[in-house]
Amino acid sequence: MKQIKRMMRMHRIFVTQELKRMLEYKANFVVGVIAFLLGQITNILFIWIIFSQIPNLMGWNINQIVFIYGFSLIPKGIDHLFFDNLWMIGHFYVSRGEFDKYLTRPVNTLFHVLVERLQIDALGELIMGISLICVSIPKVSIKWSLQKGVLTIVAIIFATFIYTGIKIGTAAIAFWTKKSGNITYMFYMVNDFAKYPVTIYNNTVRGVITYIIPFAFTAFYPASYILTNANPLYNVGMTVVISIVLMTIGIIIWNMGIRAYESAGS
Amino acid sequence: MRKKLKIYLPFVNAGMQETATYRTNWVFWQLGNILGCFISYFLWRAIFVSSENGSMNGFTMPQMIVYIFLMFLTTTLINSGGTYDIGEEIRDGSISMRLIKPISYNATFLFQELGNKIMTVCVLIIPLVAGVEFVRYRFTGEVQFHILMFLLYFLSAIFAYLINFFFNICFGFIAFVIKYLWGANMMKNCIVGFLSGQIIPLAFLPEMAKKVFLILPFASLNYTPVMIYMGMYTGTKMLMYIGLQMFWVLFFWGLSKLLWSVAIKHLSVQGG
Repeated sequence: MKQIKRMMRMHRIFVTQELKRMLEYKANFVVGVIAFLLGQITNILFIWIIFSQIPNLMGWNINQIVFIYGFSLIPKGIDHLFFDNLWMIGHFYVSRGEFDKYLTRPVNTLFHVLVERLQIDALGELIMGISLICVSIPKVSIKWSLQKGVLTIVAIIFATFIYTGIKIGTAAIAFWTKKSGNITYMFYMVNDFAKYPVTIYNNTVRGVITYIIPFAFTAFYPASYILTNANPLYNVGMTVVISIVLMTIGIIIWNMGIRAYESAGS
Repeated sequence: MRKKLKIYLPFVNAGMQETATYRTNWVFWQLGNILGCFISYFLWRAIFVSSENGSMNGFTMPQMIVYIFLMFLTTTLINSGGTYDIGEEIRDGSISMRLIKPISYNATFLFQELGNKIMTVCVLIIPLVAGVEFVRYRFTGEVQFHILMFLLYFLSAIFAYLINFFFNICFGFIAFVIKYLWGANMMKNCIVGFLSGQIIPLAFLPEMAKKVFLILPFASLNYTPVMIYMGMYTGTKMLMYIGLQMFWVLFFWGLSKLLWSVAIKHLSVQGG
């Protein structure tokens, strides 16, 4: 308990530090948010242009597609906001020898890395995700209930940790190879598959994003439960299970990596 | 000329070695990008299945597959990192090391990039072109590869690279204004990606937008070479678009010279 209290307090200190830094560089904040917003806007333009020429996409109408797309941005954005620092491990910190500093401090290394930075750019994704959901919700006729409300929040939280778990595991590869940023990148490209209904893919791709690199559980499965009420045990339950499994694997790889780590610095 | 070449050849070598050093990282990067192509492929397949007619805006399904993969190849070929490199050098002060040497600032970049470009071309071009031709053969039953078309594509891609190179240098000077390069670069990539047809072929856009976008320099980047390869630009139309590309090369070359002479006066290097 005392341990948790201490961690919470440290988290608060780090966040305050980050907010101060953000206020110092206001222009960066604007540029970053606009950049991520623009990235999403071009994708939405794509969906919009396509749907002006076809009635539906294999049975999904534009509102459903926009809802799933918007939902996919929420866990992605939350993970991006809080745990973006993991990218730096694989891209720079280990190869430049800067990781050593984490080892010299009396805190758990993973915890320190996670709370050290707040990536405000992520607001671009979150703003877009929330807007898309708000725009599409009145048009997709969802039947809300208390159960659904609770399960939606559960799904978003655990979907976020699917991203974080994958990032921890792939970032930790850098402890052996010095650079692993592009391995994380490769996994992230797979996540783009999950922004659209998995039913449009063939069985191989569907199998990969459901069972091997299960990004489909960050967006399509939970979103389809919200849309259709179908099978909450599978659509949300599996999101929780997979999230816990991936976090566990990530942390195991991380701890093994820390033991194998040799500094690249001079 | 020979003397010049002798000065800049080590930069080509350095570029090649740079790519070779981080090759595992490079392989994963390209694997990620190819995965991205497959997402586009499945998405377009679903779109064509859902569409009532076999062709959309002049594209059939096999043509769309060819478009997706050629777009990826062309984007990789013409990719240029000038924005980031110049910005970083201004920030960390290492630009001063380049300035005190009696060689052209731009040329050192160009030759260094040529080095890692050679590596990329060797690894990517053969499998991708072979793959694309295989798709075309399977759908039409005849070999459609024309060496002349391929050479014209390559020429057009070289012009596209030069446009991109000088455009990125111009953009790199933004580092004097915007300090957050990563964000600025990402913003640029989003806009250029859309206007150059990476996300959706320009033929799919509304008539007015299409007309404007085709004249803008961004269509000269990826869209023109890909259209030439696919045989959608032929004869005078092709000559016109290649001419437009040449115009944009000269334009951005001139602009980068101008910006350079202005910027260099305001450069204050912090440390380094």
